[in-house]
Amino acid sequence: MRRPLLAMVATLLAALALAAPAASLTVVEVAREVRCPTCNTPLDVSDSPAAQRMKVFINDRIAEGDDKQQIIDALVEEFGRGVLATPPKEGFDLVAWIVPIVLVLAGLAAIPLVTRVWARRGRDEPAPEIAPEDAARLDEELRRRGD
Amino acid sequence: MADEPATDPGADPGGDRRRLIGLVVGAVVTALIVVLLVVGLLNRGASTTIDDALDAGSRPPAPDLQLPVLVSGAGLPPAGQKASLASLRGKVVVLNLWASWCGPCREEAPVLESVWQRYRGKGVVVLGIDIQDLSDDARAFIREHGLTYPSLRDGSDGSKAALEATGVPETFVIDREGRIALHIAGPVSRTGQLTGPLDEVLAEK
Repeated sequence: MRRPLLAMVATLLAALALAAPAASLTVVEVAREVRCPTCNTPLDVSDSPAAQRMKVFINDRIAEGDDKQQIIDALVEEFGRGVLATPPKEGFDLVAWIVPIVLVLAGLAAIPLVTRVWARRGRDEPAPEIAPEDAARLDEELRRRGD
Repeated sequence: MADEPATDPGADPGGDRRRLIGLVVGAVVTALIVVLLVVGLLNRGASTTIDDALDAGSRPPAPDLQLPVLVSGAGLPPAGQKASLASLRGKVVVLNLWASWCGPCREEAPVLESVWQRYRGKGVVVLGIDIQDLSDDARAFIREHGLTYPSLRDGSDGSKAALEATGVPETFVIDREGRIALHIAGPVSRTGQLTGPLDEVLAEK
């Protein structure tokens, strides 16, 4: 009598454990990956009428069991790639990721070059000429210290 | 003065060249930044080329939009296939930008349907463009309001930008030669807003 009951409870727990990852997906998790097309802000912080409809759409898709990527793909199909909050890391969109990195690296590489040029400029500058009376005074001071 | 050497032995000819290259690169980068700033500032506000032309009494050409059909009709390809605005050349087009989430679009939908029913046999096509919207929501909106005129679909804001629209709803009357004859920013609340201009455009040979 007890064994079938235990088996049923175990099966139920296993089913819940399997369903847990899908059930844990929230609207906000998906919404922060896309932007509101009318206000150009991340969808999770947007409350425009269009954004509200998009959140309902996301909620419905979660309820149907779709995962995050499937919902994002569906939104891209509806609104185009411009709906993505960050550009995808492929094709021409890679430029948006690569250019900032290249610029930072170029800036870092330029630091030793620029400092070397500055240092050389300082070395190459001739020492300022001293007036004869100042030179005589300097000699006098040095001689006095030497004594 | 005559005792001075002809050339300075300590001078670095490569240094001058490097300095020149540095100056040129710096100038180019600065010029690029200035150009980007100017372009950004100029494009900050909505473009008003179409409205300026209409105010000056001329008719600017309508952009050749190519968009998938949401609901077919008036000789457009079946739903899902692409239709071109240019394919309607020879007809007068009432082009209406709308979205299902837009309140004023609900108010003007019956007015546009009424204009469509009145002018559809006179060489006029009322054509909706559903923008920045979910297609299921858009189809539900059309069913709910019993709209029988065709609509295209643009999930992005490409057509809105091409028509220099600032939001929805906005309506344009395009003459037989594909030129914009009228722009109404905001809802069409009375049929008279369109019937007068349509009669004028239809009277042109």
